[in-house]
Amino acid sequence: MKRMKIIGADLQQSSLRSNLLIVWSEIVKNLKFLLAYPVVFIFWAIFPIFWFIPFILQGLALVGGDTPWQSESFALIAGTPEFIPFVVLGAILNSFVLTSLYGMGESIRREAYRGTLDYILSSPCNKAFILIGKALSESISSTIFAISQLAICVLFFGIQLTLGIIIPVIFIIILLILGLYGMALILAAVSLKYKQAHDLAHTAEYVFGIFAPVRYPLASLPLWGQIIGKLLPLTYALIAVRSIMLLKNSLTALYLEILILLVIDAAVIFLGFYLFNWMEERTKKSGTISHF
Amino acid sequence: MEKPNKKRSRTGEVKCPTGFTWANMKAESRAIWESNIKAWKLDLAYPISFVRQCLSPLIFLLPFLIYGLAVIGGRYSEHLEELVGTGDMVTFIFTGYIIMGFIGTAVWAMGFSIRREQWFGTLESLYVTPTSRLSLVLGMALHSTMHQSLGTAIEFAAIYLMFGITLQMQGVLPALVIFALMMLALYGFGILISALSLLLKEGWIISEGLHSIIMILSPVTYPLIVLPNIAQQLSKALPTAPALIGMRTFLIENYTPEVISNVFLHLLALDAAWILFGIFIFYLTDRYIRKRGTLGKY
Repeated sequence: MKRMKIIGADLQQSSLRSNLLIVWSEIVKNLKFLLAYPVVFIFWAIFPIFWFIPFILQGLALVGGDTPWQSESFALIAGTPEFIPFVVLGAILNSFVLTSLYGMGESIRREAYRGTLDYILSSPCNKAFILIGKALSESISSTIFAISQLAICVLFFGIQLTLGIIIPVIFIIILLILGLYGMALILAAVSLKYKQAHDLAHTAEYVFGIFAPVRYPLASLPLWGQIIGKLLPLTYALIAVRSIMLLKNSLTALYLEILILLVIDAAVIFLGFYLFNWMEERTKKSGTISHF
Repeated sequence: MEKPNKKRSRTGEVKCPTGFTWANMKAESRAIWESNIKAWKLDLAYPISFVRQCLSPLIFLLPFLIYGLAVIGGRYSEHLEELVGTGDMVTFIFTGYIIMGFIGTAVWAMGFSIRREQWFGTLESLYVTPTSRLSLVLGMALHSTMHQSLGTAIEFAAIYLMFGITLQMQGVLPALVIFALMMLALYGFGILISALSLLLKEGWIISEGLHSIIMILSPVTYPLIVLPNIAQQLSKALPTAPALIGMRTFLIENYTPEVISNVFLHLLALDAAWILFGIFIFYLTDRYIRKRGTLGKY
């Protein structure tokens, strides 16, 4: 009996090790792909900055006066007159949305293009660990890109960073990433069945771009738009990060936003894994895994 | 006995028109049209994607307008009026943004026309036909211009209903002439990018990068005057800056051009320069790729 227990414990340990090996292998594989295309790496590290420069120039052209970087009207709805750091922080956090939707959301579809999806889905391992590996590798690359963009913004756009700010901001970004990967899992699940993940990712990007407070406060939207915005994890992450970095609020003052973010994370991650398993079973039964 | 006619075609040989002849022009026009029809058929085969693409010009414009409203607390900006004579932010940005989709025509649709054929596995088959490679690119340009016009019409209707915009109707015709001149230069630019995508394969980075740089250097959502001097000088090499200034002069009441120049002559010079440069680079790349034997490589 004792011997059986020892064998059981050994099996559990080796199963855990195997699963961790799957996660590790997936991370290494994806990072190798990323580093194989250095131009793509440099592009994501620098070019997202070019996408928000028109907003900064537009703001300067519209406001003008002695302090063209401050707007009183903006302060009434955003709590801060400084629209440049507001836009910069929005864009950096939004880059996590883009990489998660196009990276993680399309990761399953990419395996189909490479001809490796059939092998992955027919392997005897737990698919959840493959997805965790993909999510972690995407998180690593997204964070590297965000850090490089932030460094450029600290140098050129007057973003202030102190050690006291960094830790709560990292905590909020982790919560944001969890929610985004839950949503990306839902996308990956749908792409297993309906194949064209790209259109879904684009549509999700449009929803985030308009209804989340990336470039303007939520209060600028009509009421129905604000309701949609409040269902997105990015909204709470942006409110929290801007409160800490621009309004100098402490993390404890933001307990409500963090709580809502946690609830959204739990809901979308659960739904993501459930949908993925369900779609995987359905696709395997229908025999359409390698269909394009 | 009748002498054998050396000029007569051999059995099964198809004689193709070549050079600057009427027959060849007709044949190439047909190839452009068929390429356009093929692109439409592919588009309409994915209706959800088609609808999304038609709505995307509006979706990309809305954040600029909502942001503008948030920054100035309304649609009129005193500072914008000081700079260009009109303070109506919505009309100013809308008249600028309608051309952004057409920049996409040049950098994305034309740039990727050849790369797309490579993905479909039809590039080599097309290359052995006697049709000019440029006809393929121009067919895609025609399709994309038509598609983009549809998206712009939707964008115009939605913005008119949401915000209401006032344009000078008598200025529409000259604005369209300026727009046509701008498109010619953009086609030259698109031909250049399609050559680059032949050479660099993963040309999406070039397209995305150039699209972002053109957006910054063009007075789409702000007057050119807010850019640093060096950027203002660089924008003169792009057709979008003079075209936007010219179009706004005719379409917006009281608009004062931020840069004074003869827009028509400026655009004609850019048309000639970009088209000649684009075609020259395209033929150089085409020859280089075929010599290297890398046409089918990814």
